[in-house]
Amino acid sequence: MNIYVCVGSSCHLRGSGKIVELIKAALKENGLEEKVNLAGAFCLGKCTEGVSIKVDDEVICGVCPDNFDEVFKKYVLDRI
Amino acid sequence: MNNLCTNVGYYSINKFGEQLCGDKVEIIEKGDNYTVMVLADGLGSGVKANILSTLTSKIISTMMANEMSIEECVSTIAATLPVCEVRKVAYSTFTIIRVIDNREAEIIQYDNPHVILLRNGKNYDYDKTSFEAGGKTIYRSKIQLCENDVFIAMSDGAIYAGVGMSMNFGWKRENIIRYIEKLYEDDYSAKAISTIILDECDRLYGREPGDDTTIAAVKIRRRKPVNLLFGPPSNPADVNKMMSLFFSKEGKHIVSGGTTSTLAAEFLGESVVSDLDDMDPEIPPIATIKGVDLATEGVITISRVLQYAQSYIGDNELYYDWSTKTDGASRISRILFEEATDINFFVGRAINPAHQNPNLPINFSIKMRLVDELSDALKQMGKKIKVIYF
Repeated sequence: MNIYVCVGSSCHLRGSGKIVELIKAALKENGLEEKVNLAGAFCLGKCTEGVSIKVDDEVICGVCPDNFDEVFKKYVLDRI
Repeated sequence: MNNLCTNVGYYSINKFGEQLCGDKVEIIEKGDNYTVMVLADGLGSGVKANILSTLTSKIISTMMANEMSIEECVSTIAATLPVCEVRKVAYSTFTIIRVIDNREAEIIQYDNPHVILLRNGKNYDYDKTSFEAGGKTIYRSKIQLCENDVFIAMSDGAIYAGVGMSMNFGWKRENIIRYIEKLYEDDYSAKAISTIILDECDRLYGREPGDDTTIAAVKIRRRKPVNLLFGPPSNPADVNKMMSLFFSKEGKHIVSGGTTSTLAAEFLGESVVSDLDDMDPEIPPIATIKGVDLATEGVITISRVLQYAQSYIGDNELYYDWSTKTDGASRISRILFEEATDINFFVGRAINPAHQNPNLPINFSIKMRLVDELSDALKQMGKKIKVIYF
C-alpha cells in the first residue's frame, strides 16, 4: 500500500508535517512499516480542502489531528 | 565578451563601540566588461573616518569609471578631503582594483596592506611598480587574469587583528594567506571568501575589534547560468511553451511550487518523488524529478530564500543557516547566491484560488512581490537577472 501526504503550500500551512508524524507513529504502532510505503506528494490539487492525503489511488481531504484515528482506521487498517 | 565574469564581495566590522565604519567599499560596474572596486580606510574611526573614506572611495570610483588617470584622482582627493582638526592632515588610504574585459586587472595601492592574489587557490606574487602622485608613493600592478583568480583587499584592521590579545604582533599578511589557502575552494564566491577571513579577524579580536576591519574580494569566475521556474502559466495552454523554453536553457534548473513541479514532471515524462525523512518544521520538503536539479515547494520556500538574500546583502548573519542546512530554501540559496552568475526567472502568473484566502500568507500579490524583491536583492549581489512572465 502507498500513502502520499500532500506537502504543497496550503497543506503545509494547514499542518501536513504533523500528519506525516502521526502516520509514521501509527504505522509503527501497528507494525505496518514494511507493508506501507509513505511518501510526500507535491500538490494533490485540492488546495482548499487540505490537508490532503492519497491512499493508493484515492484522495482523502480535510485530514487533521482530530479525525486522524478515524481516517487511518477507515482507509488504512481496514484495508490491509 | 568571453565566458568569464567578475564577482565582487565584501564585508566590514566596526571598531568595538562605534556605530559607523571608517572603511568604505565602492563598486562601479559599466556593462559586463568593466568593474572598479575601491576600498578606502579613513583616518581614525567613527564619523570622521566614515566621511573621509566615503568621499575618497566615491570620488576615485567615479573618476576611474570615467577613465580619468590615477594621478588626477589622487590630486583631486588631496584637494578635496577636509583636514582633520586634531592631526592637521587629510588622509584616507585606498586600494583600487580595476578589471577590464575580465582579462586584465590593474591594482593601485596606497598605504593599505597589499592585495593578496590567489591563483588556483595559492598565493601568487605579482610585480609592482611605484610612482609618486601628490607627494604620496603609490604602487601599480597590471595582471593578466586567469579563471578563478581571487584578489583580496583589506584595511589595516585585518592585519592588526589580535595584537596584544590572542597574538603578540597581530595577524600578518602571511598568516592571512596561509589561512585562506587552507580553506579555499574553487566555488567560493567573493562574498564567502571575505566572510571567512573577516570572521577569523573578528575571532582574533575576541569579538571586540580594535579597529574598523574590511575584507573585499574580487573573483574572476566562469559564468554560471541558473534557471528557476516559479508557478504555472496564467493560461494553461502555455504550459508546453513555458516548459520547453525553460528546459532549453543552459545551466541548472530549479522548479519551485507543487503544481509547477507536477507540470514539469509531466512535461519530462517523469514522476515527482518527495522525501519525507528530512522534514524541516518550517520549510516544506523537497522532491526529486529526473532532469531537474532541485524541486521545492513554492511561496513559503521562496519567502525564506528572500529573507536569506536580504540578510546576505545586509549583516550576513544568517550565513551559517543557509550555507549548511538541507531544506529547500537553503539549497536554493546556495545555488543562487554562491554558484550562479546569471539567473533567469520563469514566473507563471496563474492564481491558485486556495491561496487567495486572506488568512494564508501566500496569496498572489505576495508571490509577485517576492519575485521583484528577490530579483532586486540578487542584483545587489552582482548577479545578472532576467525575469520572464507567463
